Amino acid sequence: MTTLAQLQTNFIHDCLSGTLTADNTLMAKDLDTQFISARGLMGIYQHSAIANITNSLRLSYPVIEKLVGKDFFQLMCKSYIVKHWPTTGNMDDYGESFSSFLAAFEQVKHLSYLEDVAQLEWLFHQSSLANDNSYFDWTRLAKVTTSENITFLLSPSVSIMRSATPVDKIWQMNQENAPENNELSLDGTSDTFIVLFRQGLKTEMMTVAESEFTFLQSIEMGLNFEVTIESAKAVNADIAIDDCLKKYIELGIISGFSI
Amino acid sequence: MQSIQGVGISLKHQHFREFLNNKPDVPWLEIHTENFFSPASTASKYLAQIRQHYAISAHCVGMSLGSAAINCPIREQHLHKIKNTVEWLQPGLVSDHLSWSASPAGHFLPDLLPIPLTEEAFTIVANNIRRAQDILQRQILVENPSSYLTYVDSPMTEWQFLSALAEDTGCGLLLDVNNIYVSAHNHHFDSLTYLKNMPLSAVKEIHLAGFSTEVIEGKELYIDTHGHRVCDDVWQLYEQAIKRFGAIPTLIEWDTNIPELAVLLDEKSKAEAIINKVECIENSRHIADAVNGQGRL
Repeated sequence: MTTLAQLQTNFIHDCLSGTLTADNTLMAKDLDTQFISARGLMGIYQHSAIANITNSLRLSYPVIEKLVGKDFFQLMCKSYIVKHWPTTGNMDDYGESFSSFLAAFEQVKHLSYLEDVAQLEWLFHQSSLANDNSYFDWTRLAKVTTSENITFLLSPSVSIMRSATPVDKIWQMNQENAPENNELSLDGTSDTFIVLFRQGLKTEMMTVAESEFTFLQSIEMGLNFEVTIESAKAVNADIAIDDCLKKYIELGIISGFSI
Repeated sequence: MQSIQGVGISLKHQHFREFLNNKPDVPWLEIHTENFFSPASTASKYLAQIRQHYAISAHCVGMSLGSAAINCPIREQHLHKIKNTVEWLQPGLVSDHLSWSASPAGHFLPDLLPIPLTEEAFTIVANNIRRAQDILQRQILVENPSSYLTYVDSPMTEWQFLSALAEDTGCGLLLDVNNIYVSAHNHHFDSLTYLKNMPLSAVKEIHLAGFSTEVIEGKELYIDTHGHRVCDDVWQLYEQAIKRFGAIPTLIEWDTNIPELAVLLDEKSKAEAIINKVECIENSRHIADAVNGQGRL
């Protein structure tokens, strides 16, 4: 008699096996196959599990689906799922590596912007799930006498991203209500520096100058304020640090500090 | 904790704003707990506002109550996430399915996979239900799933298995009338026999949904998709269920091909009409009995 643990191990094996045949279906001896073969029965669950996981990816990557089309998206997802089966019941956590998978996926790897669009979508997804910003304590900051050991903190919903393509524009062109017949040239474009942050119920996206990106990146890395200033000034000696700090605190992008 | 009574509907994100803006007349809403694991997420913030106006029931899909994995970390983590959500949401009911998703090897299939109805499985499921109820510190309801296969070694019927679970663990039962209909078609048993053998006191909620049809190797199977209106046969079976169990909370469940909210509200009205019809017949019978009794006096 097959134990429940062994039966469940066999069940998973069959679901993960790709194309099932009469020979490779481990569940065959445990199923009532009077009307439908074991291969047919397990195929129902294999198909259903892959469809459910694809739906999760669809929610996280709607722009990728729009760019490649529904059918091809499904095909890509199936390839991804077979290699990266979920190991958690929290599907919000599933699909982080989809962008790197796209970069290596034979049929689309020449479309280098797809990887960055997927990465941007994942950051949107993470931002929508992040904890709320705490209110910045201006009073406490006013009491700080030296900037040497101060380290600022980004809000939990903030993500920053550098892309070699105008990934923000690609994303915007594929939103509902975006103007149709918009064309975008990817030739000769310079790097794009993106900041995502949630305000209320909505995740906002903005592009910033490289020096401000470096400023935020240093904070994200946990560098102290002196080093943060040096890093930003190395990109643009004229950056107005006070204005920059005030702007990002007021936007809720910087939400705290430690000394 | 909020009281769940009458006919509720699934709360889908497509309808969040409509619930907040128009406050349609629905006594309660059911959510998929797994969609609200992050308490600060956009979805959770909408839900926090909606729950100020509506009672909420938390329906789970990932407790994996039928999983044979002992001390399975996936299950334990999942249960604690459910606990966190239940603590802030304070739902009127918490439920999951007689199924498994987490494998002994650490994989998770986001689906409701069938278990063989054996003594070994009974012990495992009962222990897992007790563990879930211990962690959540409350009774859970266990739902009969739809299934598309049966095991060679499965000596108990599903109603025997569920009835024994309710008695052994103190869990309640969630009776999905559509799932009975779907499984009865797929596995050739009588839906009414199933209904008649479910324990009266343990059934605390009913689900209604739509299904689709697929032909596999020449055999027509019903597939539980939650993407259509409730079919006529299931409405008739529901009427029998209300006659047997009374007007217990009923959910119009819809998870795919989400239509306009008006469609769910229309299905809700149909369920309410059946409850009213059964209650009218029952009242008439009581009156007739009373009159006849008086006549005999």
